[in-house]
Amino acid sequence: MAELTVKDVALRLGDNEILKGVSVAVPAGQVVALLGPSGSGKTTLLRAIAGLETPYRGSIAIGDRVFFDAARGIELPAEQRGLGLVFQSYALWPHRTVFDNVAYGLKLRGVSAAEIKTRVEKTLSQIGLGHLAARYPHQLSGGQQQRVAIARALVYEPPVILLDEPLSNLDAKLREEARAWLRTLIVTLGLSAIHVTHDQVEAMAIADRIVLLDAGVIAQEGSPTRLYNEPTTQFAAEFMGSNNRLEGKLVENSDGRVTIELFGERLSGISRTKTAIGEKAIGIVRIERVRCATSPGPNRLKMELKAPMYLGERWELVLTRESVTVRAYASAPLEPGEHYVEFPPEALWVF
Amino acid sequence: MPIAVYRLLVLGLTTLAVAAPLSLVVYQSFLTAPFFDPSAKFGVLAYSFVFNDADFWQAFWTTIAIAGGMTAVAVPLGALLAFLMVRTDVPGREYLEPLILIPIFVSAVVIAFGYVVAIGPVGIFSTLANDLLGFVPWNLYSLLALILIAGLTHVPHVYLYSAAALRGLSSDLEEAARVSGANPFRVAVNVSLPMILPAILFAGVLVFFLGFELFGLPLVLGDPQDVLVLSTYLYKLTNKLGVPSYQLMAVVVVAIIAVTAPLVFLQRLLLRQAQRYVSVRGKGLKTLPLRLHGWRWFAFGAIVLWLFVTVVVPLFGITLRSFVVTWGQGVKLLDVLTLDHYRELADYPNVIRGIINTLGIGVIGGAIAVMCYTAIALAVHRWNSGWTRLVDYLVMVPRAMPGLVAGLALLWVFLFVPFLSPLKSTMVSIWLAYTIVWLAYGMRLVSGTLLQVAPELEEAARTAGANDLRVKRDVTVPLIKYGMLASWLLVFLIFVREYSTGIYLLGPGTEVIGSLLVSLWGTGAVDLVSALSVVNVLMIGVGLAVAVRLGVRLHG
Repeated sequence: MAELTVKDVALRLGDNEILKGVSVAVPAGQVVALLGPSGSGKTTLLRAIAGLETPYRGSIAIGDRVFFDAARGIELPAEQRGLGLVFQSYALWPHRTVFDNVAYGLKLRGVSAAEIKTRVEKTLSQIGLGHLAARYPHQLSGGQQQRVAIARALVYEPPVILLDEPLSNLDAKLREEARAWLRTLIVTLGLSAIHVTHDQVEAMAIADRIVLLDAGVIAQEGSPTRLYNEPTTQFAAEFMGSNNRLEGKLVENSDGRVTIELFGERLSGISRTKTAIGEKAIGIVRIERVRCATSPGPNRLKMELKAPMYLGERWELVLTRESVTVRAYASAPLEPGEHYVEFPPEALWVF
Repeated sequence: MPIAVYRLLVLGLTTLAVAAPLSLVVYQSFLTAPFFDPSAKFGVLAYSFVFNDADFWQAFWTTIAIAGGMTAVAVPLGALLAFLMVRTDVPGREYLEPLILIPIFVSAVVIAFGYVVAIGPVGIFSTLANDLLGFVPWNLYSLLALILIAGLTHVPHVYLYSAAALRGLSSDLEEAARVSGANPFRVAVNVSLPMILPAILFAGVLVFFLGFELFGLPLVLGDPQDVLVLSTYLYKLTNKLGVPSYQLMAVVVVAIIAVTAPLVFLQRLLLRQAQRYVSVRGKGLKTLPLRLHGWRWFAFGAIVLWLFVTVVVPLFGITLRSFVVTWGQGVKLLDVLTLDHYRELADYPNVIRGIINTLGIGVIGGAIAVMCYTAIALAVHRWNSGWTRLVDYLVMVPRAMPGLVAGLALLWVFLFVPFLSPLKSTMVSIWLAYTIVWLAYGMRLVSGTLLQVAPELEEAARTAGANDLRVKRDVTVPLIKYGMLASWLLVFLIFVREYSTGIYLLGPGTEVIGSLLVSLWGTGAVDLVSALSVVNVLMIGVGLAVAVRLGVRLHG
């Protein structure tokens, strides 16, 4: 199987510029997550790859098979691209049984009835629904419907399977189970997949690589660990994880290190900015990296602890000083009052 | 066959079916003689003749007066009726709803005959009133009565659109007015109805437009006092000069379309606006019925009174008349009861053919028509192209042609095109005319069903490898199957009721009940007419009962 390449795709819906030049590559056997808030263009990009939307610029191809090329005027209709697509709403045909839903793609490919039967049964048993083949979609639970939708997209062995928020219609508990199940399925079958989601945890869990979209452009892409631990843009830093935001004045910026001033105290961190000295700068730090100490020290701010909140496996602390609010976790409750909050220099990014 | 070929084919045929009759009419209107006459030359002679005819202008202004008058009657009553039915706790609402829609489905000529035999000068109720009071307190054959009856029978049209809009209105607005001290009537007039003004305005234009299409009522009720409207003027023109005066008729048709076409366009604009109003509000509204308390039975009584006057009086009248030998002053009911009129129906082969043809056009013709409407709707379904607008307008064109006019235009098409002529005296001509006349209605039914198909279901088939036509065959059509069945039932009702479209096409082999009724009424065969009317009402009643039983929405 060859690599799926999306080059500089730009797309308008009405007057809205949804995609402003996006390039993505999905090597065979890799799972790529398209992550972003609603309106970032992730679903539109997926639909453009599937052939359901037409970009006005750019190209889409698998290996040397060109699906779309605006410059050369090539546009392969959706049905000739041979991709598998799982819809957010599953889009199971209500007038067909589970078997017929899954079998349809094979029937269109002129596969013999006997072979359709074996292949559909094999796929259905792979997803654990072999016994439900004769049912209609409305007789299945949400989780089962989702599996049928995946089976329908897998059965004709597409080079890439496209998943449009496949887990978002499941309730929270089921979603976590389905996430693990889906990751296992993808790895066992060695699939290439593009998985659209707005849930960063889901993206990190399922994907080998994450493409983070912001308003039609790529904010950052890379492995889940890189995206989480080394954000290059403020959007990426703030979108991933839960964060604290500190606004201060830039006082030093050299060799990738930066110092900002806040309440007359200095905090040092990793530089991600080109702002001039003396200008406003924004520090971002993950909540779980913030520590509370009892005495002053480097990279610490004196703050006032309001009531701690019990979250079950840990405590959440809300600390304030004037208009600045910082959240932190602790394994035991702390006394309300004055604390010194430490922002580790290797975990504070300044934009 | 690629989708492009299919679209081209469907669009081409539709354009031909819609444009051919219309262009022939316009062409004929600029000739000095019928198109088949070798001496026919181009000229505006026909226009100057018609526009200098005092009768034409008399008919024109009468039409305006009737259309305006019936709008003034139907709009307030229909809007109030909708308010009572949708927003209040009037007793028995679920039973009243289908009854309210009866006037839409019963043929206007049948209603008109019903009024004549019920409250005409020697009608059943008139003689009763004469016995009791010594005089008849109403005069059916007056312009006022015609306007009133036209208005009352068009209340359901206003009701339908107002009710739909009212259903999207949150009830706390009304409760606020109620708490502030407004009685239910004031709530309706000051709060609810102003908020659905766009829908009411649309309904008003619709009723005014329908006023130009009136044919059965003015033909039956206006004739004895020589009240002519444009459609009856056209009908009389047929025999006016002794020779077929096609060029004059064409001019009248052009005049009618010149008024109705802008009205159709206006309706389209207003409907869009009205829908925008409703869609702003969204779903999940609290819609508790407003409690009327003491007014409940008063409101119920008002609705029943309207139903009595509009539905019971004419239908009871025509039914009773069909079972009596004669009726007049001093006649005792038991002495005159008979079943002879129904037996006599069998003596007329054309009547028997008419009954069979009517069932055929409803059941078989209706099914084929729904297939055609579906074929057109599928051609533009999910088609991202400017051509879909063309289809929108194309579908509107026949709407501007009243049935009588469309039937005439079709007749000319069959006469004009040599290879079509043999079909003129078959039911094919009737079917084509009906299908074209009800194109807009049928398309609305089918498109409404298509709107409910979620796009992902079709996209899923596309990505699975099915091309456009395959998607339509394997996914779209199976999903709209029940919607198509419901449309078939509604088109059956419409086709069975239709009377004006078949009038000019009426001949041996093309009899349908509707056009037969009009022609028999002209010969004064009241016995036959009343029995045949009852047969027609029964067919529609059975269709309506099936529709209500199956839960089909009676409006598109």
